[in-house]
Amino acid sequence: MAVVGIDLGTTNSVVATVRDGQVVVVPNSQEGYLHPSVVSFSPDGLKYFSVDAVARRILDPKNTVYSAKRLIGLPFRSDEVQKALVRLPYELREGNNEQAVFIGPDRTYTIPEISGLLLGYLRQCAEMFLSDSVNAAVITVPANFNDSQRRATVDAGRIAGLDVLRVLNEPTAAALAYGLGQNMSQRIAVYDFGGGTFDVTILQVENDVFEVLATGGDTFLGGDDLDSALLSILADLFNAEHGIDPRNDQAARSRLLIAAEQVKRHLSDFPEARGDLKNIAVGSSGEPLALRFHIARTVFETAIRGLVGRTIQACQDVLASAQLAASQIDEVIMVGGTTRVPMVRAEVEKYFGRPPRTDLNPDEVVAWGAAIQAENLANAGESLPSRAVLLDVTPRALGIAVTGGFAERIIDRNVPVPVEQTRIFSTSADNQTSVRIQVCQGESRRFEENVPLGELELADLQAARRGAVSIEVTFKVDTNGILRVRARDGATGAVREAAVNVRGAMSDSEVEEAAERQKYREASNLPEVPQE
Amino acid sequence: MAGMSSEQLAAFVRQIFPRLDQLSYYDLLGVPSGSDQAVVRTAFYRLAADLHPDRHHTLADRELKEQLEMIYARVCEGYQVLTKPDKRAAYERALNQGKKRLTTTDRDSRGLQNPEDSIKHPEAKKFFRLGMISLGRKDWKGAVMSFSFARTYEPSSALVAQKLSEAQAALGKPGGAGGAPPKTP
Ligand SMILES: Nc1ncnc2c1ncn2[C@@H]1O[C@H](COP(=O)(O)OP(=O)(O)OP(=O)(O)O)[C@@H](O)[C@H]1O
Ligand SMILES: [Mg+2]
Repeated sequence: MAVVGIDLGTTNSVVATVRDGQVVVVPNSQEGYLHPSVVSFSPDGLKYFSVDAVARRILDPKNTVYSAKRLIGLPFRSDEVQKALVRLPYELREGNNEQAVFIGPDRTYTIPEISGLLLGYLRQCAEMFLSDSVNAAVITVPANFNDSQRRATVDAGRIAGLDVLRVLNEPTAAALAYGLGQNMSQRIAVYDFGGGTFDVTILQVENDVFEVLATGGDTFLGGDDLDSALLSILADLFNAEHGIDPRNDQAARSRLLIAAEQVKRHLSDFPEARGDLKNIAVGSSGEPLALRFHIARTVFETAIRGLVGRTIQACQDVLASAQLAASQIDEVIMVGGTTRVPMVRAEVEKYFGRPPRTDLNPDEVVAWGAAIQAENLANAGESLPSRAVLLDVTPRALGIAVTGGFAERIIDRNVPVPVEQTRIFSTSADNQTSVRIQVCQGESRRFEENVPLGELELADLQAARRGAVSIEVTFKVDTNGILRVRARDGATGAVREAAVNVRGAMSDSEVEEAAERQKYREASNLPEVPQE
Repeated sequence: MAGMSSEQLAAFVRQIFPRLDQLSYYDLLGVPSGSDQAVVRTAFYRLAADLHPDRHHTLADRELKEQLEMIYARVCEGYQVLTKPDKRAAYERALNQGKKRLTTTDRDSRGLQNPEDSIKHPEAKKFFRLGMISLGRKDWKGAVMSFSFARTYEPSSALVAQKLSEAQAALGKPGGAGGAPPKTP
């Protein structure tokens, strides 16, 4: 029985394991190590995964789901989902408990189900490659993933039949993979610019102890935004030539977007890109319209300068919250495919005043760390030369709503986990026999400026004058960064726990059902990986 | 590499856990009071290397594991407080008052929201209250009736709808009708 580490990325996922003390990465079916995070459905229910699903983003955009990580664990009506909706060609609607659900050809799928399908596929890839069964994994998430996003990731793992040993922060995993800090003390910055998210994390590493000092970033900034910037350039060129804006045509837009991504990669290695894109759109008399382009790297750089600037600003903010200067950082680690863009490397080097580390493959390094941690947890790290201890922190402050529209903080941002804090509150009206406890994340004093996570209610309180009943509210964040809330009636002394109803989450029974369905499907030997 | 055997760990937990609330952060971290940040951090790292839950993932004894986690969470708290100047100053004051832990035990001046605040219509509110009282008495029938009335006055209230369906579900369950004992055939 093997355990694996999985970097479940917005764009690509990577699976790795430790064998005889060495990290091995599970290859995809096309000689690469990145598994595109794409699932495609056909009307008969047959599913295509990863490399086999990528081409279907053009062939069948309505039934091909990508960037699920941008949606996972977020309520349908959240800004993030609404923003993503505009860009995504597949259809989503609001399902049970405010969830965003994908409208598939046969039925609707929740986002954890989609990610669960992908994880199931990755598990099977690993099982085939390792000739061994895999039923436990460490799955990585961006450091700034909130409680509901982490829970939803665990749900996805459960649906795929995986025992999720740990939800690990991606930057911490990357630092672990570099094996820094052995017999010395160092301060490290992990700069992770991936497909959908950007984050930066400052760690103190000393004799196998990895402490996160501060973390920050932008869950909505990634290589996709660079693609969009390039798409604009290409679309303007096309519009100038043909008088048609391809952005208004879903199919044309999809084609151009895929071209934009390739041009972007090319520009990482060469100062200019030229090409001829055939069949982008159809003209007024039915003729296929092509685009001949010539784009200099400098033009691309001008278009993305603002985006890269935002990452540097985030670095500045995070250093400030760790009360450190850029010059106090001993190493900068580059993670994520977007750090291959030369301008990104140059700006990071300029800001930190030292060349960043790029010696481990920036798109595999997170999975390496996850594999090492999986080995540490499951097999007590027997085959590893050293056993790291990872000390993570809360990404955001956590609190509850009180009267007057205010939020009262219970746990601060950037405190080490696990952490447990209790605060005592009271009723706000005479004879109030139940209280509503709305949980939020964020640093603002105003409740509505924070992100609501869920709520619970404590009923059957003694009827009394306002303020006379005390209610103890306890927040506990575990090493996975997952929050548990307990409310206790102080008057009766009886401990009554109430579960938080997490907005946008699947219920336990829904997760179990989905897991059963997936198990059944795998067992019934449906052709999972289409043979071609 | 340091490391505790499982016997050592169990002995440690048995010794510390019952006294957890009597130990100051200094005691817990094993540093003299007044130690500077670097000393506190070194002590914390040493403890973390031994006590972190990830180190004991395969531990079978659940109770021991839980107690260990509580000890470790307190160690983290101590580290956090002693290395943040403002928190540390507050902690010194708390210690002088005989407290071992820095917590906000003063009751917050602002109260918690009353769920019914979201209901606007006074009649809807009245029936909602009655429904809640019925719920408390497990009088599902009465609750369904009151919540239904509340809904006629304020059909848009999500809270009323939710409580109504809760009451209906309870009523629908075997033995749910009026809390009567389930009949045996
Ligand atoms: N050579 C390259 N030059 C520029 N960008 C690249 C290059 N190679 C890959 N990328 C970009 O990197 C991004 C994917 O990076 P990666 O695989 O690290 O992301 P991810 O882990 O899936 O996303 P996230 O970390 O946000 O969840 C894509 O936007 C891709 O276009
Ligand atoms: Mg990534």
